[in-house]
Order: sequence, then C-alpha cells, then structure tokens
Amino acid sequence: MPGLRVVKSRDEFEGEIFESLSIIQGSDLPPHAAGAELDEIGKSRKRVDGVQRVTGRATYTQDVTLPGMLHARVLRSPYPRARVRAIDTKKAEALPGVRGVLHRFNAPKAAFRGEETIFREEVRFIGDEVAAVAADDADTAARALALIEVQYELLPHVTDLEEAITDGAPKLEDGGNVFDAGSLKRGDARAAFKDAEFVVEGTYRTSTQLHNSLESHGAVAQWDGEVLTVWESTQHVFGVREGLRAALLLPLSRIRVICDYMGGGFGSKGGAGKYSIVASLFAKQLGRPVRCVLTRHEENLAAGNRSATLQKIRLGGKDGRITAVDHVSWSNAGQGRWVANPTGPTNTLYDFANLTTKSYRVVTNAGSLSAFRAPGYVEGTFALEQAIDELAERMGVDPLTLRRRHAAAQKDPRTTKPYSLKRLLECYTIGAREIGWSTRRAGGTRGSSPHRRRGIGMGTQIWGGGGGPPAYATVHFNSDGTVVVRAGTQDIGTGTRTVLAQICSDELGVDLDRISVRIGDTEGPYGPISAGSLTLASVGPAVRLAARDAREQFLGAAAGVLEVRKTELRMERGHIVSKGARTSIAEVSKKLENNTVIGKGSRWPNPEKLSIKTFGAHFAQVEVDTLTGEIVVEKVVAVHDIGRIVNPMTAESQVQGGVIQALGFALTEERVVDRALGRVMNADLEWYKVPTALDVPEIVVRFTDRPDRRANNLGAKGLGEPPIIPTAAAVANAVANAIGVRLRHAPMTPAPVLEALALVR
Amino acid sequence: MLDTIESVPPFRGPDAVDISLTVNGQGATAHLPPQRSLLELLRGPLGLTGTKLVCNAGDCGACTVLVDDRPIYSCITLAVACEGKRVETIEGISKDGALHPVQEAFIEHDAYQCGFCTPGQVMSVVALLRAKGKPTEDEMRRAVAGNLCRCGAYVNIVKAGMSAARRGK
Amino acid sequence: MSLFSYTKPRALGEALKLLKNGTLAIAGGTDLIGLIRSGLARPNALVDLTGIDGLRGWSIEKSKGLRIGALTPLSDLETSAALRKLAPIIGESLRDAATPQLRNMGTVGGNLLQRNRCWYFRDEAVPCWLKGGTRCFAAEGENRYHAILGAAECVMVSPSDLAPALIAYDADIELVSSLGRRTVKLASFFITPSGRQRKEHAIRRGELITSVRIPYSALQRRGTFLKAMDRKAWSFALVSVATAARISGGKAHDVRIVVGGVAPSPWMVPAAHKQLEGSALDDNACLAAADVILAGAEPLRDNGYKVTLARELIRRALRSLVA
Repeated sequence: MPGLRVVKSRDEFEGEIFESLSIIQGSDLPPHAAGAELDEIGKSRKRVDGVQRVTGRATYTQDVTLPGMLHARVLRSPYPRARVRAIDTKKAEALPGVRGVLHRFNAPKAAFRGEETIFREEVRFIGDEVAAVAADDADTAARALALIEVQYELLPHVTDLEEAITDGAPKLEDGGNVFDAGSLKRGDARAAFKDAEFVVEGTYRTSTQLHNSLESHGAVAQWDGEVLTVWESTQHVFGVREGLRAALLLPLSRIRVICDYMGGGFGSKGGAGKYSIVASLFAKQLGRPVRCVLTRHEENLAAGNRSATLQKIRLGGKDGRITAVDHVSWSNAGQGRWVANPTGPTNTLYDFANLTTKSYRVVTNAGSLSAFRAPGYVEGTFALEQAIDELAERMGVDPLTLRRRHAAAQKDPRTTKPYSLKRLLECYTIGAREIGWSTRRAGGTRGSSPHRRRGIGMGTQIWGGGGGPPAYATVHFNSDGTVVVRAGTQDIGTGTRTVLAQICSDELGVDLDRISVRIGDTEGPYGPISAGSLTLASVGPAVRLAARDAREQFLGAAAGVLEVRKTELRMERGHIVSKGARTSIAEVSKKLENNTVIGKGSRWPNPEKLSIKTFGAHFAQVEVDTLTGEIVVEKVVAVHDIGRIVNPMTAESQVQGGVIQALGFALTEERVVDRALGRVMNADLEWYKVPTALDVPEIVVRFTDRPDRRANNLGAKGLGEPPIIPTAAAVANAVANAIGVRLRHAPMTPAPVLEALALVR
Repeated sequence: MLDTIESVPPFRGPDAVDISLTVNGQGATAHLPPQRSLLELLRGPLGLTGTKLVCNAGDCGACTVLVDDRPIYSCITLAVACEGKRVETIEGISKDGALHPVQEAFIEHDAYQCGFCTPGQVMSVVALLRAKGKPTEDEMRRAVAGNLCRCGAYVNIVKAGMSAARRGK
Repeated sequence: MSLFSYTKPRALGEALKLLKNGTLAIAGGTDLIGLIRSGLARPNALVDLTGIDGLRGWSIEKSKGLRIGALTPLSDLETSAALRKLAPIIGESLRDAATPQLRNMGTVGGNLLQRNRCWYFRDEAVPCWLKGGTRCFAAEGENRYHAILGAAECVMVSPSDLAPALIAYDADIELVSSLGRRTVKLASFFITPSGRQRKEHAIRRGELITSVRIPYSALQRRGTFLKAMDRKAWSFALVSVATAARISGGKAHDVRIVVGGVAPSPWMVPAAHKQLEGSALDDNACLAAADVILAGAEPLRDNGYKVTLARELIRRALRSLVA
C-alpha cells in the first residue's frame, strides 16, 4: 500500500515518557470545523448494544460454556507469609472427577510479571496462589482443593502500611519494605517555607479500596492443538494475549483472546492473570476447555486494589498565594511491583513555584495493588485539595479564589509545554454557579435542624486522557451497504461501540443502524487497553480515518460502477450523490458484489510540543449530623473539561458513575485487615460497602464541551477517570466547612466524624 | 419408629433429585442435588445465563429473579425449594421479541454501564411496577436498593424506572 | 459445604418429627444457606418449613393480642398498612432492614434466629470462641462493629432490627417441639454467649418458633425505631434503638428502650424504664436514661463511637414519643 510511514511518538504522563511507533498513511484528518453541526457526534444516542444488555443476552466471560468444559479452582495461601515446603496431591487426585492438579513442583514454568512461575515458593499474602485443580465441575474442584496437603513454613509478616515502614517490621525484600517511587523538586521549597507567612501541615490517610467489579476476573481457555482461544473479562485483549505469549511461549498467531462484554474492570483487568494461565495450562495439558473464574472472596483477596496511603503535606503561603509545597506519600502496594503516584496532582495541577514531592512504594503481605480508576490521583487530590482549603482559611482567602490564582497558567508546570486546551477556570465558574458558591459561609450554615450543619466545598481534577497511538481500525462495506467497524478495543462499560459507530456514521454519511461495531477480539486490528481514559481519544480518530479511507475507496468503486468521475461523487446519508442523481449505497454495493471495500485507519501521534490534559472541578454540598456523625451528601456538581463530547448521554453516565464510586471511597469503602492474622475481614460485599441507590445525591453534570482541536482529529479526550478524582476532596472540604473540623481520613464514616468533633470518649 | 415413616414426607437427596417448576411461563424440569441454588439451576441446566452470579451470598442483587412475582436472590435460594413455583428471569419478560417497557426505558435512559447488574435491576423494577403502578421516586430507589451497581448507574436506573411507571409499566 | 437431603412437610407435626439429630429447619434460608456454605452449619438434611399452613400472616384479638406467624415474610409486615397502624415500630424497623429481596425471602422466625455477623465468626478459617475455639479474635482485633456492652467471652452484636422493635412491645415467642409448647419472653430468648453457652438463642434442639405474640395492652404504646448505618441502605445497624411508651397527659408510662448493635443481645436496662415512668421526656430526662442504659459501656479499640451514637439515638427515639 502506498504512502505508509512509521512515526515515533513520545507521550509524557507523570514525568514518565511513553514511546510508541505508529504506522500512518496519507494525512490525518483535520478536526471537524468549528461550530459544525454533525449528525451523530455531539448527539445523545442510545447504546447500540443496549438490547443485549437489558435482555441478558450479552455474553460475558462468565456465560461462556463450551462442550466438555472443565472447571478450575485455585488453592490459595491461608497464611500471609510462608514457604511452601511440600505439596501432597494424592488424595485430591483420587477424587472422582478431578482431571488435573498444578502446583510449584509440577507446573511448567510460566513467566508472570517478572517471576518464572505462577506458584511462588514463598507465598506472600493470604490468597496467593499455591495450586490449582481442574475437575468436571466447580464443586468437585472445590472439594479437591480441601484435599491438597501443603506443608508451610510460616514466616513473619506485616500487612499494615504504617507498621511496614517502621524499623521493627519484618523485612520482606532485600531492600527492606520501602522503595522510592519518584520525587520532584521545583524552585526552592525550603527557602520558600522560611519565607512563608502561613504554613499548614497535615497527615492524611486513605484506605484500601477494592474494585469489586461485579464480574470477577476469569477466563475460559480452549486449545484445539493449534490455536489457544481464551475468553477473558479484560480491559485489554491484546495485553492478555501478550501475557499468555510470555507465559506459554506460543507464537502470537496461535493465541486468540476474546472479550465480547465485560462486567466492569475499573483498572484491575489490564492483562492476563494467573487464572488465565491456569486455565490455559490445563486446557493444553488436558485437551479440554477449562474455565477459571474467581469467586467474590478470591476477587477481593487477589485481584487488586487501590492502595492505602499515608500522606504528609505542608503548604506555605504568602501575599495571597501558595508559595511552598512539600508532599510525601507512602502507598501500601501489597505485593505489587509498581505503585501509583499520589503526588501526581501536586506536581502537575497548579503552577506551584517551589515544591518538593516524594512518593514511596511500601511492600506488605497483602494482595497487590492494581490500577484503580485514576490510581494515585484520587488519593493525592484528597490530601492536596484539603490542604489548600486549610491554607486558604488560614490566609483569609476564599478557597476558590486561591485556586484560581494557581490554575490559570496555560503551561504544564511539569514539562513547561503549553496545554493543547485548558478551560479549568471555566469549570470553576460553571461549578461555582451551579452549587451556589456565593452562599458559602466560612464556618458553614445551619442545616435542616439545629444539630445539623451544612457546608460547601470543592476539589479540582487533573488527569491525562489525551490518548495516543498505537490504535488501528478498519471499516468495511458489506454487499448490502451495511458497514462493519473493527477495532481491537473492548467496552469496559462506557459505550465504546456506540461512540465508534457515531464517529463512523458521520464520516461515511451512513445511518447508525446500518453500522455494526466489532470489538474485543485480537483477530481485529490492534487496540490499546481500555484504561487511562484513553479509549475514545485513541481509537476514535483511527476509526474516523478508517471510515474516510473506506469512503474514498467506495467512491472510487462507485465511480466505476456508475461510470462517472470519482471527483463528482460524494456520500450523503446512505447515498452516493452526483449532479443531482442519488443512488443508494446498497445499490452500489450490490453491483460491486462481494468485492469488499476495507478502509484502514490509524491513530496519529500527538503533537509533541503540547501537553494534553483533562481538567475539571467538583463542588459538593453536604449536611452533617453533628451528634451522630452522619454525613449526607446532598448535591455534587461535576464540571469537566475533556474536549469534545461525542455522546452527551453516555458521557453523563460516566460522570455520575465516577462521582458515585468516589463517594464510596470518601464515605463507606475500606478493606479491613486483621494485622495479627493478615486476613482481610471484609472480602465480600456485605461489610465492604459499595454505594447503593440510596447513597446517591443529586448529581449535576456539566461539560465545557469545546473540541480540543490540537489534540487529535476528533478534539475529544478521555472521561473514564476524571470524574472520580476530585469528589472525595470536595466532600471533605464541604464537611470541614460544615463542622469546622477537618477529616483527614477516608472513608469518613461516623466514627472519625465523631472523633473529629471530639465527641468520642 | 413406624409412625414417623408413615406420616412424614421422605427426605430427598443428598444426590440429585428431580425438580419441576415453571420458568418464564413454561414447565421446566431438572435433575440436581438439593444443595444447588436456583441460580445454578437457571444458569446451568436451563441455560438461562442472563441472571448473573456475583457474590453467591445474597450481598449484591445481580441474581435477582421473581418467584411467584416477588424479587428474591436466586444465589441463596435452593432450587429444590422452588419446586412447583413460578420463576421469572430476565429472559422471560420480553414477549414475542418485543422488549418489556422497563427494558425499553433502561435503554432510553442509559440506565447501565457494564450491564452486569442490569438483569437484576430490571427484575426489581418490574416487580415494583407490578405491585405498585404509580410508585414514588423514593419507592423506586428503595426497590433497587438491593441491587448493587458498581459502575454507579443508579441515577439513570431510577429515572428509567420512573419513566416506565409513567408509561404504565 | 455439607451434602444434605431435603424435604418439605405440609404440617407442623410432620416437621417436628423430621427435626432430629443432624437435620435443620429452613424457611427463607437467607442466613442458613450462608452458614452451610461456610461450614458453620453442617446439616445432613433440611426440613423446609415454608409448606406449613397456619404459620403465616398475623391476626389481632383483644383477648390474645397481636399474633404474628413465624413464617410470615418480613415484607408482608413491612408493607401492611393495617399493621403499621397497629404496631408501627415493626414496620419502621423493617423499612431499613436488609433489602426488598431479603425481606421477601426472610421470615419473622428466621430473622429472630439469625446468627451474628461478626466477621471472625463468619470466617471459617478463624477458630473463634463462639465456634468452640479458645478466644475472641474481635476483642483484640478489628472490632468497629462489635459490642460495647454486656459481652462476656464473645463481643459479637445481635444483628436483628426486628428484635428490638418486638421487645419494645413486650413480645413473647411461642415455641414448639415434639415435647410440647412453651412461651418465652422474647427479651430473654436472646442470650449472651458465655461459659458453656456458645450460642445466641435459647432455642432447644428440635424446637421451632411458631409465632410472636404482643399483648394487646402493649399496642397502646407509641413507638419509634431509629437505626444508624454507615451506608444509607443494606447495612446492619451500627446502633439501633426501639422506644415505646404509653403517653398520657404529656407523660410517659411503661417506657421501653431497646438498643440493638451494641451488645450480644438486644440491650435493655429496666432501671432506665423506671426512671422515665411519668416523665415528660425532656432532653435531660432522656439523656439521663441513656446514661443509665450505657453505664456499663466498655468500648473496644475501634468502637468508642458507638457509645456517643447510642446515647444520641436513645435521646432522639425517646423525644420522638412526645414530639
């Protein structure tokens, strides 16, 4: 194909540079003309896969049943830290219906996240994988687990973050338990603190949040002797394929990963899990399809979490500005190999001139963290935005005014690159109006009865979300004029199929109901992980280019069929139009018979000289019962600056969902671990409390809705993570406004509220 | 003791027993042990996978189905205890290919995200509208308080429910 | 999970015959299924009571008072407008109890017999005292939801919302076994696990609850039920309070205050009732009564907040009787 070029692109996120190659062709499309009214983009559209979702016919991994399928279950360590000395599986193997047992002494090597095997010699948390059984049914597999005899040598453990960073804690790794995870210096914070008129200092704690995606992690693997096909509930089919390649050493051509529908991920389903490898190993070994799906309990032990943090933050102020910042954070990464950075917002959100930040990863005998919707940023924003409110109060400046002074800059303070588009001040204006900021009073106001206090607070959001290469798509015409879009992305629940169809529809002039979108299959063109708020901004532009390519090819073919020059033709609402004559696409397609027109598109690199970010602000109104410690969030106004909105209805849904999940983080959700036993006491949905329908306040969603025309050919940026970032901070600030005491702990359950009010003996 | 033997119904199981019930308006029979849940019966032998398994403990609502018109959690209901009862699942509420008005409303109001809790939510709303034609918004919210949605689609779920109620369910 | 067989008798007599060693009765199953799955109950057979006629629904007679059948689904009590008029505390206590689905499944008898929700007790891997072990792990461990009062070897709390409401009406329960019938004050049916009593209920082997009875006179009381939760729905009470009293001339008589979520059984201190006899239930009187009720509180590491919370809920629940 002519005109293919390879370009390298560099994208920065949190100071880390991500390089990628993309293969591009011709030229990128310009963004849609300013003010152009499009038929689909910008319009609220019902989900194209809505019927599947409301009828129960959508196929999730849990629903995949294959003839002869076996059920695998995993034996997990009952100890927080132990050496596996010996395993006796004789009794388990003798159980009728048991077809195979895998453990560290018999399993083939299978590389997994830097380790050679999926069954460790030293198990490091309750829930760590020790062995696996495949049996005719799940009950038999479960019974077999109980028959496996393991000799453990118990080792000292530590699960608590603050205990793990003390000198007396058992050292879990050669380097101890605490590892540097990034630092930043800007200006001279030390001198600035000396010079400051006001200094506030606080220690903030956030709890471990469990994803609790309703569909647990799991995979069904089938090996036909040639190709391994794996159905997996995942945010990245290509990531799973790569994980299986590394573990099983199969060529990519012989691995296919499918995720048609998935029941939530929130960051935790980024690649192959040990369960995928277990299912695949058994499938290859036993020649039968194998399912390995985690139970809710396993899910909450071994499938990731948002790490608990301990953060110390100090701000100095002078002349009505924030002049000095020091922020140090420790995160309980469990057995995780990486850690999110809670100082990210401090580093990037405001134009702080003098700043030092440090972030530490702390290893403990608890389940590994995994990305959880805006990892680090939710936790860090909770501390930073409260500290700013505290300083503002000390300085006698309106907290919003203080933020405005530092949020106006049009340059990324971290990279000094100009932003492609930043309308944060507009977010502040809209939000302040919607919440009634002018009615906010220092010290709060009286609530619905004398012992109830009402307060208003706000928090600010920064996140990436610019997306980028590599992402590819194809668009092809069927002989009846219908269109199929293929992209290797997957729908985590945001409505990916729908927005891609809308983009394609506008480019082709073909109605939405004649377009089908096929995703979630590694047999399609490569697509990135559905995480990091990057799907739409990465895949959308590629679909647009693929649609254009398909259109051009189709017009070329139509020119031949209709015997006119291609330049005289255009595509318009399902028709080929030339000099007043209209021929339906279907008619032309039919004449083309089965000569499939396939358009290809790829995501072009982001502009290197610009910083592409998303911004937003949340405003919360709360009422606090000062005698029972109950917090009622009455209203949240969420305003986001994420470029163009492709589908206002699904965008609003995402914001509502982000706010609600954030309210869980802020008010009810906390993994509770017994330190002595190392056990998670609430690895369930009974005591781990995710919000219910009754926990939802009035939520007002607003967008600045200006295309970021310099970001990509859609002018759209991501929205997955932004709405979970500032809510907890806004609520905490509102609570502080209401009751005059600051809660530096999430979740803000009645206990800490009453303690803060000094009502607890 | 003779009197015991003649006057009480026999225990069935613990191995598989025959169970017959009505599912979505049709007679259904299955052969499975009394330890099995209604959810296992639906998703396994009956192949009705629209009803979801999430917690298996009655803590989430994803497995909500109607038994004799009342919403219950099928994951903690014994299949054998549903002998002779009328069970309705998400697969049974759309008739002749036409969506139930509650399903229509869910689509119209974007009352889902990942969709995993959706069948359970729909069943809870359907049950409420059968019991109460014109519920208040608070009643609607309480009707789905036993159905967790981790994506947080509650605002639109309540909106969809109210809209279906206005349309006369 | 134990492998059990199953049967569904049609009459109470049949059920009683079937309840022998190794068998357990099941109705809604909302608690029992969880207990079986986690190995806390290991029946070899289940006797399903839901086919028995005559134990469902409620009736009222001046001579006999209010009788509620043990197999009545909680949702029937919650949604009955007539019962709301008659005994409002019952409906109020059920409104925030669990969820619509669980209230459809759960029965009155099952609710009163549900076992506690302590996360150590429910964790099959933890050999806690109540399960026959040697110590209470919650006492020294994670105990934000545990008892501040009245506990002995075990610091779990009584989970039922319905129980405090019924006790505020001086409810009795009727039990039957193949040996005969007996009537027990509901308040004394709940026991504090201690010594050789490693259980929460004074139910005997082979015995079933058939009904709850509330004396007609107690229905003359006004009452209310308050519940503090850490989530707005679907939570066991951090603290719950049921209050009842006959109000005449602005003065309270026959006051009852029953507190849930604070002790291994619904917590009631008769001295507090006496103290409020004839009181106008002003703030000071209410708080003084609360202090009597909570006098023996010995909070654990993480549950001191419950004392504050209980004191305030008691005050409010009492005040609302004269509001």
